[in-house]
Amino acid sequence: MRTGLLRLLIGTAAVLSAALIFSGVTRAQSTAQNISGKQFPATKPAPAPKRDLSGVWQLEGDIGAAPIAPDAQIPPMTPWAKTRFDAEKPGYGARGAAGGNDPILQCDPIGFPRIMMMPTPQEFVQAPGRVLQFWEREHEWRPIWIDGRPLPEDPDPAWFGYAIGHWEGDYTLVVESTGFNEKTWLSPTGYPHSEQMRILERYTRIDHDTIAYDLTIMDPTAYTKPIVTPHRIMKLRPGTEIPESTCVWSQENEFTERIRNPATPKK
Amino acid sequence: MSFKPARFAVLIAVLWAACAPVWAHHGNSAYDEEHWITLSGSVTEFVWSNPHCQIFLDVKDSKGAAVNWAIESQSPGILKRNNWTRTSVKPGDQITITLAPAKNGAPVGFSGNTTGKVVFADGRTLKMDIR
Repeated sequence: MRTGLLRLLIGTAAVLSAALIFSGVTRAQSTAQNISGKQFPATKPAPAPKRDLSGVWQLEGDIGAAPIAPDAQIPPMTPWAKTRFDAEKPGYGARGAAGGNDPILQCDPIGFPRIMMMPTPQEFVQAPGRVLQFWEREHEWRPIWIDGRPLPEDPDPAWFGYAIGHWEGDYTLVVESTGFNEKTWLSPTGYPHSEQMRILERYTRIDHDTIAYDLTIMDPTAYTKPIVTPHRIMKLRPGTEIPESTCVWSQENEFTERIRNPATPKK
Repeated sequence: MSFKPARFAVLIAVLWAACAPVWAHHGNSAYDEEHWITLSGSVTEFVWSNPHCQIFLDVKDSKGAAVNWAIESQSPGILKRNNWTRTSVKPGDQITITLAPAKNGAPVGFSGNTTGKVVFADGRTLKMDIR
């Protein structure tokens, strides 16, 4: 009995050690923290500027291939959403396969919130009445209106929606958005949404170099409960420039012909 | 409950795969991420373009015949942040590149993330993504 317990402890320790070695201690810590869903621990008070997110930021961790939330945390879908879900052929996740029908492979805009899953930087620029959010991915941007206006009641459906925000205290920008079309996936692993989707985000500057990012998706047409995504961390990247990174149909086609198709198994 | 080496090995493999997923916008399923390889050869073309930069490389097979490999990398934006320029690799350069090959056996691969890199004949190394 004791020998069995000892073996179990040794095995557990070995697995944990291997996980740390393979993934890198820093990354493993942040990933475990993110996936656990725990609140971020209080961090040292730093002289972060008040009501100011200006700068270039990048999400931490192995993103780009990550789901909007772990499959087990996605609430049950409505029949409407399940039909769309079944038609998706993503390149990542449990359903991932070469080929597929990811809309971005024909240069459809990646849309919001999926653009927040990309492993490329984004920049906040503050202007009177607005916070402007620029993404390297697709060279896209959106205004977040902080002049007190309400969300529009009947917005035109758009790839990046319509966003308003307000400061909660000096360090948290709360953003609400609506007005999305239903043509985009929530993440590289797929998952549909409807035009009724509303999104709540919280960008909390927990110290000078760090934003804690929280995203909640409310879409009763597609999901029976809100999707609460894992906490994510964004780090300030001083000096980083955001170059042009446009999705160009001709370049995408050439890439598909020379790389993607030859690597895809023949059916 | 006893410690089973085989189960342990599977768990390690799963952890390893989970820790270092290939990121290419079209998905990672086409590539064998568990068996990265190195290839040496002569560059025939370097495409500095979205969605992914591409290196084409003549590699001699076991019979001495040149096989042209098509290797995708990261976007120009990511490579620039890793000290690359659009002329970092030129036709005729002799390089050794680390990549995850296509599962279907075609001479295609992915060289990116923190594992992908190019080593030049003079020993210089350019990584694809140092993060």
